[in-house]
Amino acid sequence: MTFLAPGFFYASLAVAAAVAALHFIVTRQPRAGILPTARFVPDLPANATARATRPSDLLLMLLRVLIVLAAGAGLAKPVVKPSRGAEARVILMDVSRSVSDTNALRDSVRALYRNHDALVVFDSSARVIPGSAADSIRSVRFGQARGNLSAALIAAIRAGSGLRDRADSIELVVVSPFAAEELDAATDSIRGLWKGRGRLVSVRGTSVDTSSSSGALVQWPKMERPSFAVARAKKDTIGGVLAGNALVISTFERQWSFPRDSIRGAEVVARWIDGEPAAVEMPSASGCVRSIAVPVSAIGDLVIRRDFVRFVAALNDDCASRNAMRAADPGVVSRLAGTGRLASRESFRPRGDIRSDLAPWLLGLAIAAAIAELFVRQRRAARAIMSRPAVAEKRAA
Amino acid sequence: MARWRDNRESQAARFEEPDYAALLDSVRGIRWPARSAVRGGIPGAHTSRMRGSSAEFTEYRPYRQGDDLRRIDWKLFARSNRAYIRLSNDRAILPTTIVLDASASMAFPLPSLAKWALSAQAAIALAAVARNSADPVGLVIARAKEIVHIPPRTRQSVINEMVRAVSETDPSGDHPMTPALDAAARTSGRIVLITDFLGDGEDLLASASRAVVAGKEIHALHVVAPEEVDPPRETLLVSDPERPEIRRPLTGDARDSYLAAFAAWRDRIAHEWSEAGISYSVAIVGDEAPDHLVRRVAAPRGVAATS
Repeated sequence: MTFLAPGFFYASLAVAAAVAALHFIVTRQPRAGILPTARFVPDLPANATARATRPSDLLLMLLRVLIVLAAGAGLAKPVVKPSRGAEARVILMDVSRSVSDTNALRDSVRALYRNHDALVVFDSSARVIPGSAADSIRSVRFGQARGNLSAALIAAIRAGSGLRDRADSIELVVVSPFAAEELDAATDSIRGLWKGRGRLVSVRGTSVDTSSSSGALVQWPKMERPSFAVARAKKDTIGGVLAGNALVISTFERQWSFPRDSIRGAEVVARWIDGEPAAVEMPSASGCVRSIAVPVSAIGDLVIRRDFVRFVAALNDDCASRNAMRAADPGVVSRLAGTGRLASRESFRPRGDIRSDLAPWLLGLAIAAAIAELFVRQRRAARAIMSRPAVAEKRAA
Repeated sequence: MARWRDNRESQAARFEEPDYAALLDSVRGIRWPARSAVRGGIPGAHTSRMRGSSAEFTEYRPYRQGDDLRRIDWKLFARSNRAYIRLSNDRAILPTTIVLDASASMAFPLPSLAKWALSAQAAIALAAVARNSADPVGLVIARAKEIVHIPPRTRQSVINEMVRAVSETDPSGDHPMTPALDAAARTSGRIVLITDFLGDGEDLLASASRAVVAGKEIHALHVVAPEEVDPPRETLLVSDPERPEIRRPLTGDARDSYLAAFAAWRDRIAHEWSEAGISYSVAIVGDEAPDHLVRRVAAPRGVAATS
């Protein structure tokens, strides 16, 4: 067992020790007695006290110590540490559109999965399957969303933090076809955050039909409204546009914009430098249709500039969906595997969102002990009243 | 320290009535002469201030007109040709009243009430001693709400009446002794005050002084419990049974101050009462047997009591 906030527990230990010490050294009212010559006793405060060499009320002391310790332990959030194994895995299961043989992927994951491993299912987003995921593997649904390994790796690191108390070493296992579209510029950097080697299990991806036409139908109207675009409420100007690696710096007057609803299912192939889509690609039966909302002025040398030529070439490239289904570069994929030893548990930060199931019980125990202490104290006070020198007082009355 | 515990049941269980029969038997032969000549009156055992015609010759006095001719010593007249009256000491009784303090402070220590027991024994024993000298004896008990007054009597049953009155008394309350002393002084020539002087000490001394000036013989028996002289060393919150508002902690330091203050107070009481011409005695519970205490009180002035 460990504490998420051990400071509270240490503080409660100190307070409990002080409470116990007070019961030993606290001054208490001395026993009452009758003395007819009491008038000759110096008139000191009547609550002058005598030191107790041992606790006068053991039950009260125990209850008070229990209150402090239970409250301190409850606030310290104790958690029961599971037994730690030598090795655990974080398995990234690709359920994106890149996967063609879903059964093979399920079998691979099932073969890899052990109890207490963490399973992360990802397509465009990543989800950690909580608890024992063995049954979830069979029921995982594959979708048409594009895979995103960067998001999956981030989720894997988070899952690794959850496994750090269960294993000395944590292995990263990625089961995916490793399509090119699943990797992005951040993937390498995020992979670097996992301090250890991984294991890549490649499954068959969606095949690319090379026989069919791969050309894109480019719609680049001069003045008319581009497909899927609507007129901007207010025209503005912007200083650049980017398609792939081709960047054009110039002043463009923007008249059209692509509303989110109209480009659902489309790929953005060019963006203004403020991030707005400048050109989108919509899949079609024969390939794809690209709608470009980049105005080109006949005035000036824009159209003959090299950067603009590269920009046009990028827009004339093969359909993005066709490129995406291609397998990723083997060099990039090998970097995903990494080198060296498995990631050690110390390389993961402990999770800050661990819940302590014991905390509410301990706080409840503290409250119950406080109530019991109240009753015991009242009974003790009543007993003290009963033991007063009533006979003598009655005589005096 | 069981005696310090205030336990009503154990008090009832542990307070035992004194064995008055044995006490009366132990004081049977004791005589209690008056400390000075008493006023004349009914013939008794004490020397009277009056000269009378008893057989105990004292002196001759020349005959004066009006003297009884029968008291002329004719033989001396025949030898000296002068008329002398034969004088002798007269004897008289000395009505004695015991004034007993029955305030709450006498009910100590609990539960044995040893102070009260000793006071009651001393009262009955002194009355019996006085009664043995054919003196009328009475009793005044100053107890809560009333004063029990048994006037001085010489009849045999008066001692039994006194025993009954003492037995029926439960010392309690805080009432003055002075009215009881005044009541006793109206009917008696000898008064014995049995008290712990924790009540109306100043008024009592003034009243006793007046009685002494009036020719009364006053004895003061100061009853003290050993627990008062040497209280336990355990720290206690002590309270005065007569004044419950007095509740003071008797700690180690306070104990020393208490001992000094109590001793000084006792010395002052002894000095003031002795100075007033009162026979003052201290009776510490348990220090001596009741009959020895009675011998000490009844001993003539300047004579030590013998057991």
